[in-house]
Amino acid sequence: MNNKPVTIDRRDFLRGAGVALALPWLESLVLAKSSAPSVTPKRFLSVYHPDGVGLPLKSDPAWNDWCWFPRGGEKDFQLTKVLDVLEPLRSEITIYSGLSHPAARKVHGHSNADQYLTGADIGGEGPYKNSISVDQAIAEHAGEFTRHASMVMSTNGGIGGPRGAQTQSYNREGRPIPAMNRPKQIFDTLFVTSGKDAHARLARSKSALDLLIANTKSLEKSLSNQDRQTLKQYLDAVRDTEVKLEKAQKWIDTPVPVIDTSKLHLEATPEEARLYFQTMYELIYLAFLSDSTRVATFQLGRENGEGPHDLLSKAVGLNGAHGLTHAVKQTGGWKNLGTYNRYQAEEFGRFAQRLKDTPEPTGNGNMLDNTFAMHGSASSSFHLSRNYPIISAGGKNLGFTNGRYLKFGKGNEDNQAGAGIDTDAGWQAEARVEEEPLAKLFTTLLQRFGVETDTFAGMKGTLNRV
Amino acid sequence: MRILIVTILMLNASAYRALAAEPAGKPLTLDEVRKAGRAKSLFLKEAEKKIEPTPAIPAANLDHFQKSIAPVLAQKCVACHGPNSTMANLRIDRLNPDLLAGPDVDRWRGIYKVLSNSEMPPEDAVEYRLADADRQNVVEWLSEEMSKASIARRNRSEHSSFRRMTKYEYNYALQDLLGLPYPIANSLPPETASEDGFKNSSDLLQMSTMQFEAYRELGLKAFQRVTVSGERPTPVTYIISMQEVMTNLKVDKNQRFNVTGETDSNHRNRSHLFNRTTGEGILFSEGNAVPKPGEVAGHTPDVSPVVVVLPRSNELKLNLDRFLPDEGMLRVRIRAGRTTNQPNEYASLRLIFSAHTSNNANFSQVVSQRDLPVTASADKPEFIEFDIPLSEIQRNPFRKLETTFPRRDEFLHIRNESNAPGGKDPLRVVIDYIEVSAPHFDQWPPQSHLNIFFKSENKSNEQVYGQEVLTRFLERAWRRPVAADEVGPYMDLFAKYRPDFDTFEGAMLEVLATALAAPEFLYLTQRSSAENAGNDKTGKPETISDLELASRLSFFLWSSLPDQELLELARKGTLKNPAVLNSQVDRMLADPRAERFGQHFAEQWLGLDGMGSVTHINKDDPLGEAMRQEPIAFFREVLYSNSSVMDFLHSDYAVVNERLAQHYGIPGVFGPHFRKVPIMTETHRGGILTAAGMLSMNSDGTDSHPLKRGVWLLERILQDPPPPPPANVPKVDLTDPRILQMTLKERIADHRSKAACISCHSRIDPWGIAFENYDALGAWRTNIKNKPVDATSVLFNKQELAGVDGLKRYLLADRQDQFAKAMVHKMSAYALGRPLTFADHRDVESLTVQFRKQGDLLADLIHLVVNSKLFRSK
Repeated sequence: MNNKPVTIDRRDFLRGAGVALALPWLESLVLAKSSAPSVTPKRFLSVYHPDGVGLPLKSDPAWNDWCWFPRGGEKDFQLTKVLDVLEPLRSEITIYSGLSHPAARKVHGHSNADQYLTGADIGGEGPYKNSISVDQAIAEHAGEFTRHASMVMSTNGGIGGPRGAQTQSYNREGRPIPAMNRPKQIFDTLFVTSGKDAHARLARSKSALDLLIANTKSLEKSLSNQDRQTLKQYLDAVRDTEVKLEKAQKWIDTPVPVIDTSKLHLEATPEEARLYFQTMYELIYLAFLSDSTRVATFQLGRENGEGPHDLLSKAVGLNGAHGLTHAVKQTGGWKNLGTYNRYQAEEFGRFAQRLKDTPEPTGNGNMLDNTFAMHGSASSSFHLSRNYPIISAGGKNLGFTNGRYLKFGKGNEDNQAGAGIDTDAGWQAEARVEEEPLAKLFTTLLQRFGVETDTFAGMKGTLNRV
Repeated sequence: MRILIVTILMLNASAYRALAAEPAGKPLTLDEVRKAGRAKSLFLKEAEKKIEPTPAIPAANLDHFQKSIAPVLAQKCVACHGPNSTMANLRIDRLNPDLLAGPDVDRWRGIYKVLSNSEMPPEDAVEYRLADADRQNVVEWLSEEMSKASIARRNRSEHSSFRRMTKYEYNYALQDLLGLPYPIANSLPPETASEDGFKNSSDLLQMSTMQFEAYRELGLKAFQRVTVSGERPTPVTYIISMQEVMTNLKVDKNQRFNVTGETDSNHRNRSHLFNRTTGEGILFSEGNAVPKPGEVAGHTPDVSPVVVVLPRSNELKLNLDRFLPDEGMLRVRIRAGRTTNQPNEYASLRLIFSAHTSNNANFSQVVSQRDLPVTASADKPEFIEFDIPLSEIQRNPFRKLETTFPRRDEFLHIRNESNAPGGKDPLRVVIDYIEVSAPHFDQWPPQSHLNIFFKSENKSNEQVYGQEVLTRFLERAWRRPVAADEVGPYMDLFAKYRPDFDTFEGAMLEVLATALAAPEFLYLTQRSSAENAGNDKTGKPETISDLELASRLSFFLWSSLPDQELLELARKGTLKNPAVLNSQVDRMLADPRAERFGQHFAEQWLGLDGMGSVTHINKDDPLGEAMRQEPIAFFREVLYSNSSVMDFLHSDYAVVNERLAQHYGIPGVFGPHFRKVPIMTETHRGGILTAAGMLSMNSDGTDSHPLKRGVWLLERILQDPPPPPPANVPKVDLTDPRILQMTLKERIADHRSKAACISCHSRIDPWGIAFENYDALGAWRTNIKNKPVDATSVLFNKQELAGVDGLKRYLLADRQDQFAKAMVHKMSAYALGRPLTFADHRDVESLTVQFRKQGDLLADLIHLVVNSKLFRSK
């Protein structure tokens, strides 16, 4: 166990980087450390962005600068203007091509935010069923060490509708986990304690839940079969709450870290794109730093435009993020989309850099070494759920070797399949190139997090070379 | 009843041409077009028919199909929709003609639609032109088969109305149940809208763990807000007399002026203190206030000649330091008057709360629910009162710091919102006296507390009183009588909780909060009789109980729980009596809670959430909010005057406030409230199609967006949503110089001329192009980039539309039935809280017949829906 006190240097760094931690934080961090396991945490983050990336044809003058994917080989790859902001982190990142979920390859890209982390065959229409997302599978394992098993966030909040997800996370039953979208709400969940007599309250909650379950069962008796199915959602919610109560029991006597909010813009909304983006990343950083959770997902908006998140592109002076993907054939269209994707990468890179600059409290490298942070979308080209554009950062201590551009699949080494399309002909066309199931990466991940499994979403096997 | 015996459906276009071909110089007015259009209604013709009994076991009329229908289809349709060519992915030769048992009902409904709207076969395909008699024959057959199929399917309930409350319903329910004067349920996740735009649609209202937890938390929070414990708290009270302020104010000489002095006019255009007797003034817009210990609010001192003067858009900012309590009502009493009294000028007060904790770290928030008008004269000022719930507003998080930095103080701004023009002596607000106090209670304990913990002779016996409290509360919250054995478990819970709490009330509130997290509160239940529970194949759809009817009614019209009167009638079994039901609907519509219905129905029907994504209106400009409010105000106007829904298509009046009237060029409208005003043809308004909000939402931020406008019209007004884009659609290539030179309309026409695009766009774009005279803010224009606006278009059925006037003429002449049916459909879906399906088709049709017969009146539609079989069924 490493009980070395936090040094002033680090505190200065934190202040310089935009977050000042109030004095009680120092104490609680020491306290938390002394009660924390000596094992270094393993963390997971997935950031999802809708609407894919720019993928022009080679013959297009925009290809040179504004194709999302790098050029060159595994080690000697060159980043285009879209991702060159990540050049300083080159040795800490991996860029993937040729990965996708087989079930989604012929489903309209707008339907697929739902299955990016689940790999489920949700189809494009008809009955809907999702399955557990990889973050939740990790959280089932890693969540018991922290106050919060996971933090689920999105710009739009809630769950959205089937095939129109506003959350990246799904529980074991395939039910969406509502995302938090307001920084204040996330902050309060993480860092605002809700009272001293939590223990007694917990006992009372248990009795209340028992009573509610009895009420529900009594109501169920007088319902039709169909209505019973609806009520079952409620019953599941009550039971999930019971499980959470048991876990909460453990955390009751552990104080929450105290964070100074004066430099956090907790009222920021997606309309203030830059501020909102950075505040959300800051909260994820703080959640990891304080070991409040080890698993987080963050969805930047929902597929198919409409809503406040669509204004995130205002950060780079562009209107309507979703509209950018439709406008690639207009003057400056590829550049505009690339500029927005570049901005997303820049914020992701800033976050990765923060982790890298922060020593792991247990002394085992820096925080990035112990965090696998991925950033991606379930579309590459227009509405096309193939060749997902994925970046991962960190994870050295989880066995990931970075500084690489990993091309998977066959026949699409130069990312030209589906390039240059801006119509639905793309996703409706037969896939002529081979791609690897993204689920294989997830299985690899699960194993590295210590979950004993060799399948995810029905796909067997792990991903080679990672 | 036979539905829709179609005789002239296919003549839509030609009938209108006849109308349009009136002698030159004497065009029909829109009102005349509307009358003529109504006379053509097929629903009205249907209403005159005798009702024939429905066959007990409906069967498909396959003989007739083989003999008379199939040959027509083979001759006129199969060439393009058959083995050789499958346009629209349709093989008409492969469809199963049995609509009752077969799988192709949706396809047949599509065919019915295009045939009855004369959209197929295409006008230019001369060799496939359908003779009127043939078209009538096919449409009639389809109409009957669809009707029978709908009956056959009615009993297979595909969607149930069993659902949880929406976020907004939950909020209202808490307020109504507990007497909570403000909403608190903000932590619930947002709802997802159905295809019809409705947020109360059962199939989308999910329940999650986080949501469940939020309900438990919010329930308890609400109880804490409406109940009290211990002694009445001493309020913190600020008394601000302008006389005292002016006497004690130490300022530079250059801040002082006299009404006769030369700096006067400059100074008087800013907030200032003023002695009305002496004419002395001091610039003054910010002041500090400290609470006066032992002081109580509620004084009415003599009117002082010393006042603070607030010109238009100026404010008085009061620093209240850090003494306001965390919770409770902040009562602000402001004695104010207006300096002039022109009827076309108004002044009102708005409260803003703010803090500025360090450089660039600040917030401010309007905390008054609405601006309150200043009506008294300056000589006889009157009190204006605001109540602000301190627990619900953004507070300064540093207010309890021991140190002075970050800054701890909180500010209350009193702002004059006015339309006063400039000039020598414009309308200003004067204030001579202000009281600020918190927490404010009208009485102690407050009524909301006594509603739960009422007076009882058993109060000293916790067991007996607890039973009383629980029974009364559960019956109100669960909207039904509660048996003793249902109360028992809650008393057991109370017994477990009691040792943890100092007081009976403390423990009981947690028990009561549990009841608010129970499905009986959160869900709109529909119980089945014991023998039918769990069995969905019982034949006839079951009827909901009287109590469930009371709830369905109140969630429909009040977005909340039924009140005691409704529950009482339901308990007595008389609510379902049509006379009682109708008088209750009238009572409910007259109740202020019915404003919620106008708001939420109009918002969801018309998709007003889209205004939230409009970025081309300055946030400080009240125009945006006015645009959002107009359709709601218009809807309420039509509802409360029980006017025809055809007013939504066009009306000779508008419902506007000053800002919007200014936008529309309607003179003589003053003040922020909406009211009905007559308009001239030249205003180019009337109805909701030309409401600026609709046009702005369906713009791209810089210009009109005909496609969006067309889609909006089809989805929201005509209930005819266009299909999703097909495969292999080439995009408009804006790098092509030929295309770059084109106007927007030319580009659209060019795009549409491509074979792959035409099928969809020719059904959408022409509707939107008719609105080209309205720019991205919905303002009327006659030129675009120095070229005259060309808003003429041709619909898929070759109907010409001459701009929006032509569009309105066409809708009123030929699409009244379609719109009336769309209204019935939307209203029914909202009332039932579930998506309507084909099984409801027949019910919607017969409701529409009734609706049209009664004159398309909006309030009547509510009555029709409430009295319908649909509304009484599960």
